Amino acid sequence: MQQEVDVAIIGSGPAGLAAAIKAKEAGAENVVVFERAEHLGGLLDQCVHNGFGLLYFGEDLTGPQYRDRFIEKAMDLKVNAGLESMVLELSTDHTMKVASSKEGYSSLKPKAVVLAMGCRERTRFAINIHGTRPTGIYTAGQAQRFVNVDGFIPGKRIVILGSGDIGMIMARRLTLEGAKVEAVVEALPYVGGLIRNEVQCVHDFDIPLLLKHTISKVHGFPRIEAVTVSEVDENLDPMPGTEQKIECDALLLSVGLIPENELSLMAGVELDPVVGGPVVDEARQTSIPGIFAGGNVVHVHDLVDNVTWESEIAGESAAAFAKGEKLPSRKIEMKPGRNIRYIVPHTISGEDDVTLYMRVKEPERTVRIRIGDVMTGKVKLAVKPSSMEKLEIPASEFKKVKEGTREIVVDCVAKEGR
Amino acid sequence: MSTHETEVLIVGGGILGAATARELSKYKVDTTLVEKETDWGWGSTKANIGLVCQGGDCLEFRKEYHRSKLVWDSIPMMEPLCQELEVSFKRVGMLGVFMDDEQKSKFGKMKSRAEQVGITSHQWIDRDTLFDMEPYLSKKALGALYDPVPAIIDPVKLNIALAENAKQNGVHTMLGTKVIDISRGVEGFEVRTNNGPIKTSFIVNAAGVYVDKVARMVNADNFVVYPIKGYLGILDKRVGGLVRHNIWRVAPGPGEMNIVEPTVDGNIIFGIQLMQAKRDDLSTTREMAAVALKRVQDMVPAISGKDVIKFFVGFMMMRNFELGWHDCVVEASPTVPQFINVTIGYPGLSACPATAKEIVKLLADQELNLVEKADFNPKRREITDFSQLSDGEKRKLIAQDAKYGHVVCRCETVTEGEIVEAIKRGATTVDGIKYRTRAGTGRCQSGFCRSRVISILARELGISDQEVTMAGGKSQELLYRDKELLEGGESICSKKLM
Repeated sequence: MQQEVDVAIIGSGPAGLAAAIKAKEAGAENVVVFERAEHLGGLLDQCVHNGFGLLYFGEDLTGPQYRDRFIEKAMDLKVNAGLESMVLELSTDHTMKVASSKEGYSSLKPKAVVLAMGCRERTRFAINIHGTRPTGIYTAGQAQRFVNVDGFIPGKRIVILGSGDIGMIMARRLTLEGAKVEAVVEALPYVGGLIRNEVQCVHDFDIPLLLKHTISKVHGFPRIEAVTVSEVDENLDPMPGTEQKIECDALLLSVGLIPENELSLMAGVELDPVVGGPVVDEARQTSIPGIFAGGNVVHVHDLVDNVTWESEIAGESAAAFAKGEKLPSRKIEMKPGRNIRYIVPHTISGEDDVTLYMRVKEPERTVRIRIGDVMTGKVKLAVKPSSMEKLEIPASEFKKVKEGTREIVVDCVAKEGR
Repeated sequence: MSTHETEVLIVGGGILGAATARELSKYKVDTTLVEKETDWGWGSTKANIGLVCQGGDCLEFRKEYHRSKLVWDSIPMMEPLCQELEVSFKRVGMLGVFMDDEQKSKFGKMKSRAEQVGITSHQWIDRDTLFDMEPYLSKKALGALYDPVPAIIDPVKLNIALAENAKQNGVHTMLGTKVIDISRGVEGFEVRTNNGPIKTSFIVNAAGVYVDKVARMVNADNFVVYPIKGYLGILDKRVGGLVRHNIWRVAPGPGEMNIVEPTVDGNIIFGIQLMQAKRDDLSTTREMAAVALKRVQDMVPAISGKDVIKFFVGFMMMRNFELGWHDCVVEASPTVPQFINVTIGYPGLSACPATAKEIVKLLADQELNLVEKADFNPKRREITDFSQLSDGEKRKLIAQDAKYGHVVCRCETVTEGEIVEAIKRGATTVDGIKYRTRAGTGRCQSGFCRSRVISILARELGISDQEVTMAGGKSQELLYRDKELLEGGESICSKKLM
């Protein structure tokens, strides 16, 4: 039916594009990217703000500019792209079923697969926001698409719940469009997104930031008319007597992202219960041989640059697998220790340079991230859950580790303590 | 506006109104079905768990109750009806679970009452068998009373199917038509609506939550009804395997009766009944949601709040609540001739086929002339459900129409082709699409598809994106154009439009 596919990539956002390019560069012949939307690039088309590529290109790009560089390269390398093509099924043996308005319905069995489905936004009832159920309540990303792709503004008096990056970026975007952002409401005592977004998108526009608050009630029907905002207690439950009503005609939710792994589950890929993404080794191979994963489908990143780097590894490894080359072993398990929520990759070989990505559970000041007992680690002035920590470890460091070590615990400890 | 004339006017396009319209369409009767919402079944019907039962599960059920008879008469009718209308009907069976002797004895009484009226399908299930049937059930369960007969359906889908089939057979349907006032003249009723006056000889008042208010318009309210609120939650399909049957139990405390079951689409729905409440208040609260969740976790501990994708509430109208949850209203008004009042309360869905027949009989008693139509077509085709097709069917369908290859709702795998079909059947809103195709009902709750559904609606209906509403009325999704809110923005926008 089709020519043999070496590497099939599910998703064409920054992760999928990076994986496709690297797979090609690493010698995979037929590389196919499946994208369910109308264009390549995933959600980068709606990210018209800047801040993309600072690390990867050393330049300050917008989302579409960042995307275009990868699309051009992928096209130059003759990556095959299937648009409006949705992978409906994925099996352990790599068999995929794809529905496409352009190519019809097809089934294929690529030698290797890269999962690059990204993530989705958490919704209203997952975080217990009650009251009426009117229209005018959107996730921040949904509103971002309305404004930046479709050309519409959901309302002129906006409340934003959650201080994730997309929420704060939309606070600025909507302010620039002439809407009034009444408040950004965050249940935690600190902001959920990057500090640069807190400063540039919220404080610089004098948008009230209500930390330790949540929305205890939604009012109005069929259109939202107001929200009741309450202070929260230590369990993040609203405290009676602290209610204030804020009138609004739209409520945006920026309350967290969830790796999108329905296809992974279908294929039997083991997921990390803490993160919700596949358990991967340093080559980004999942528990299923020949199925790799990169980017937000594995764990949600703060910066697109890291998504690109991580997915390049997945693409390169998928090409190696397709060619029958040997991949790194999973000799050593990386175990989250004190104040570490998770670590990616979950296993390493100890034979090559490796970059560890991790997040802490709680904010702390002046800490050392300690990697096992003998390695150098890293001192940080401050850590917080919203900022991913990235540690590059040269292969030489692993030489310090005793032969036969099966696991290395990573802790975040006070700087003095070693 | 010119006056619309009809012989029978059915007020309310919920499941009972639609079933009655379809039943009447078997006869040469000029029938009109009006519904105030922009689509069928958006009142009590949509906030329903979709259980088709024998009524025996209702602890107060008695053979002297009118509604019990309507339920029993409906039992043999429901499955063939669903087959004719291509509405999916799954016989899952029902497990009344007990965790102590007192709960068991309540079920025992219920079983013997059921047997007295000839319902003999209930059987005791021991603990081991119970866990074979429901492996994720709480270990506190000691056994269950099992009834293999009950089934699940999607009530809104059946409601839409009934209305569509009625329309196919000549019933005049008017959506978005709210009855404002009714007066009784010499030649029948004059009904004032927001869509112009209607003259009719007979009225069937199936106004659901507003049944008493519509009756009162013409002083035909010889009954008192009470709104009863239920809390419902839907879980992600990912955990759909946790529950296989309808499982229910009665335990003291708020939300005394609680229930959990699969949906026909593979989610799990759970709920608590029942509290008396203000009928216009459809809002949920954190406190009651927590109670509902705690209650379902008592039955199935593996259910997590993280998997809840939606909470909502529903109402039903019960007669004589204060005397114990009593009976239905299915009767001709004793004060106003040719005016029939209908509300079942619980279990309205299960009772609906026989109730529709009874209403037609009541109309005949009031001297409506019934002549059967030779050309009544009982069949209606459901719109395509792409996700349920075989590989070969999918391949063929996309080859015929590429719109079926464009998946718009990724959580539920709903294609553009299905959305266009839904619009051709009469969906005009985002919610209309949702109830007909499931687009937007999945775990992302329309995060991905809403913008696309809005565009498809605008394109197919020939309106602008900004005119598209969630559910009719003032529920526009997109209030302003980019730049419109800026100083001088309106002129920028108008230039753009030109």
